[in-house]
Amino acid sequence: MNALRSRLSALVADWRLQVLLVVALLAGAPLLSPGTVQIASFVLIAAIFAQSINLLTGLAGQISLGHAGFFGIGAYCTGVLVKTHGLDMTLGVPLAVLLAGLTGWLLSFPANRVRDVYLAMMTLGFGMVFFEVVREWNGVTGGTMGLPGVPSAALRTLTILGMKVDGLRYFQLVLLVTAGVMLLVRNLTQSRIGRAFYAIHVSEIAAGSIGIPAGATKQLAYALSGAVAGLAGALYAHLVGYLGPESFALPRSIEVLVIAIVGGLGSIAGQVLSATLFTFLPERLQVFAEWQFIAYGLILTFSLMVLPKGIGGLLFLPPRFIRPGALARAATLRADVAALRPIAGGTALEAEGITMRFGGLVAVDNVSLRLEPGRITALVGPNGSGKSTFVNVVTGIYKPSAGQVRFAGRDITGLADHQVAAAGVVRTFQDPRLVPHFTVRENLLLGAHGQLRHNGIAAVLALPGATADEAAKLALVEAVLALADLTEVADRPIDTLPYGTRRMAEVGRALLARPQVILLDEPAAGLSEAEMERLSQLIRDMKAMGLAILLIDHHMDFLAELVDDVVVLDSGRMIYRGDIAGMRGDPQVIAAYLGDEAAHA
Amino acid sequence: MDDFFFSLLLAGISVGAVYALIALGLNLTFWTTKTMNFGQGSLMMLCAMLTVFLSSQGLAVALAVLGSLVVVAALGMFIEHWTVRPALKSSGGSMGWVVSTLGFGIFLQGLAAKYFGSQAVAFPDVVFTAQDFVTVFGQYVSLQYLVVLAVAVALILALELFVRKTVWGQAVHAVSLDPELALVQGIPVRRLVLLSFMLSSVLAGVAGVLIAQIGGTVDPAFGFDLVLLGFVAAVLGGMGSSLGALAGGLLVGILSKLVGGYVSTAAEHGIAFALLMLALALRPQGLFGKPEVSKA
Repeated sequence: MNALRSRLSALVADWRLQVLLVVALLAGAPLLSPGTVQIASFVLIAAIFAQSINLLTGLAGQISLGHAGFFGIGAYCTGVLVKTHGLDMTLGVPLAVLLAGLTGWLLSFPANRVRDVYLAMMTLGFGMVFFEVVREWNGVTGGTMGLPGVPSAALRTLTILGMKVDGLRYFQLVLLVTAGVMLLVRNLTQSRIGRAFYAIHVSEIAAGSIGIPAGATKQLAYALSGAVAGLAGALYAHLVGYLGPESFALPRSIEVLVIAIVGGLGSIAGQVLSATLFTFLPERLQVFAEWQFIAYGLILTFSLMVLPKGIGGLLFLPPRFIRPGALARAATLRADVAALRPIAGGTALEAEGITMRFGGLVAVDNVSLRLEPGRITALVGPNGSGKSTFVNVVTGIYKPSAGQVRFAGRDITGLADHQVAAAGVVRTFQDPRLVPHFTVRENLLLGAHGQLRHNGIAAVLALPGATADEAAKLALVEAVLALADLTEVADRPIDTLPYGTRRMAEVGRALLARPQVILLDEPAAGLSEAEMERLSQLIRDMKAMGLAILLIDHHMDFLAELVDDVVVLDSGRMIYRGDIAGMRGDPQVIAAYLGDEAAHA
Repeated sequence: MDDFFFSLLLAGISVGAVYALIALGLNLTFWTTKTMNFGQGSLMMLCAMLTVFLSSQGLAVALAVLGSLVVVAALGMFIEHWTVRPALKSSGGSMGWVVSTLGFGIFLQGLAAKYFGSQAVAFPDVVFTAQDFVTVFGQYVSLQYLVVLAVAVALILALELFVRKTVWGQAVHAVSLDPELALVQGIPVRRLVLLSFMLSSVLAGVAGVLIAQIGGTVDPAFGFDLVLLGFVAAVLGGMGSSLGALAGGLLVGILSKLVGGYVSTAAEHGIAFALLMLALALRPQGLFGKPEVSKA
């Protein structure tokens, strides 16, 4: 089955076949009846529309229940501009796309502060309100009577840049647009944007720890998805020529969800197959039309249980998130890990008087410490002594009740986690937070997210500069993989690998963010002897590079050979600071670990 | 006071109390599973439609309502077992339940349209008729409105008491804070979750009957949009707070009726939506809620 999948995936990914398919459709369309050509146009529009859900839900993990609203904004915007104001379609459609995208961006404004389900509910409300606005705004949308007479290909009233466009020409145009959209969505998936979308989808905390802001990323996903849906709507408007509010109500939002889910979230080819299926079925099968609503309801209820990855998951391999072109280019490059040396020789981090209270519980009580470049500080203490909480405060997951964190001459107390990471303070977690479906290489490249210098547009268009930038970072990833002994498993999905490997990958990912300060929360837990050896070497390398390192661990032998300073916490308070030899003889430390009597014995 | 204003105010308070009931239903499942049924509106519709159907078969109205509530409660169990639990279990995207609960709502709506027809049908009078009224301070006050208000407020208070005073209520509280910890403490989390969905569905059913009573008719599309109004009420009051739900519901009800009366009835959803936007912009934790502390 997997062999078949990989063969099919290779087939649909082959650009020669893609070109052949588009050319064949362009050339073959005149042989079909006008009715079939029109249905084919509907299929393409549905496929574009489904891509908007694919972007939003498949990649970024957000759910929209009102996508008909974006579709409708696109349709009415170009419809009104072209019909009422006499604009050319080549101007009307881009404006429609822009407006729909802007709406998506505005609608998702609380993405930063509320649960994702709030956004889903807002989209449901948005869909309802859009429908009502269209129905009531007689002057512009024609109200319940609708907007007839939009220049349309089916009615042969459409001219583009002075040229008459009939149903056939319009189909060919939409086909080219569809191919373009697919190409861009694929590029986006395999770019920094796609990786960021997927990272916030599966773990916002992991994404934040390497500098990817969850709120802004979700907003971008809503904006892009809105824009693509708007494009589908705009193309629809100039196909049918009549816009009525009923075309943009809840059933259309439901339909596109069904198409996208059955097609398989994440799979571009699956969406096309599904769009074809669900456009032709009601057209050809009267019985289906009658049971449509019930069928859609059942599909949405059970599809995630029965066929969670849809047609796409059945036929094809899961999508990958690195451009093959960038990978090929990277193979010709050599990079040295020394390139990850902190800028300007490193900077110290100072935490002063940090206190963290949860209700009545004082988890961290007035702890101060300083992390110097090129020094390893161990943070030890019994379970529940506040070590992880301290790291959480420093890295912006919690806002401290009192105290200050200063780094590189500025106060970073209370900054969001992604801001702290972007400033150069990066951490790993007690239980590794990785992106499960990503390969090891993809996970590590995600670490370099903030180091990529090309912008989103270059990424989506796959401009040469973007590919070169990605290739350079991939070469660095290769170097870190070698350093962490992960080269052999680089292309395996990380959730298929043992715990120790995942830990090493997480440390590697943190290093690729090019931090000045790195905080490692129990990196050696669960590692084998050999892996621990590797990790020690990796940490020593990082020290030599001039990173300031905080290391939480219980394993004293492991720490003894590594660390310069030790800080011991007990019940949130700092009870010892100094070297490791002194710690072993310190009565307070012994009491904390073994109980009071042992200390007096 | 101006008659028109007063009647709008009263209508707003009545429907607002019902929105609060819906919000409470959403809160209940939010407590136990951090999920809510996006197809809740279809349960409201189904309960009202079944009441119409059963009473048309010669059953006493009170019995018809009771029977419908039993059906809706059973559906609540079904929803938990077949749409929410599998979605929560599956790894990866954690929001599958939004789609599956909405899907089930759509299915029920489609089914109702198929078997009861998509036309609006008259809803029978449960206690009073639309013509019954009393006079308060010289104003006509519809008895139906008063009954709706009384039932809604009584249910909300009962639920609040239940959560605060009983062991089960404490257990719900424990589960909402930390389900795993609650489980190892010996709280029957599974049963509690199932119960919360049943109760949530019953609340939706009651809300459906009450709204149908005020409106006079039901059709298959009825109620679908009311989830939004209930959600807005819940968010305004602070997700998870019962008294907040009541305050939020009244606010949404009164404002939407006033705007509906003085501006346009089509603006009701728009107002609710605007309130939601405003609340999320200014005070995402709502009037009575506390900001959520995320656990790393």
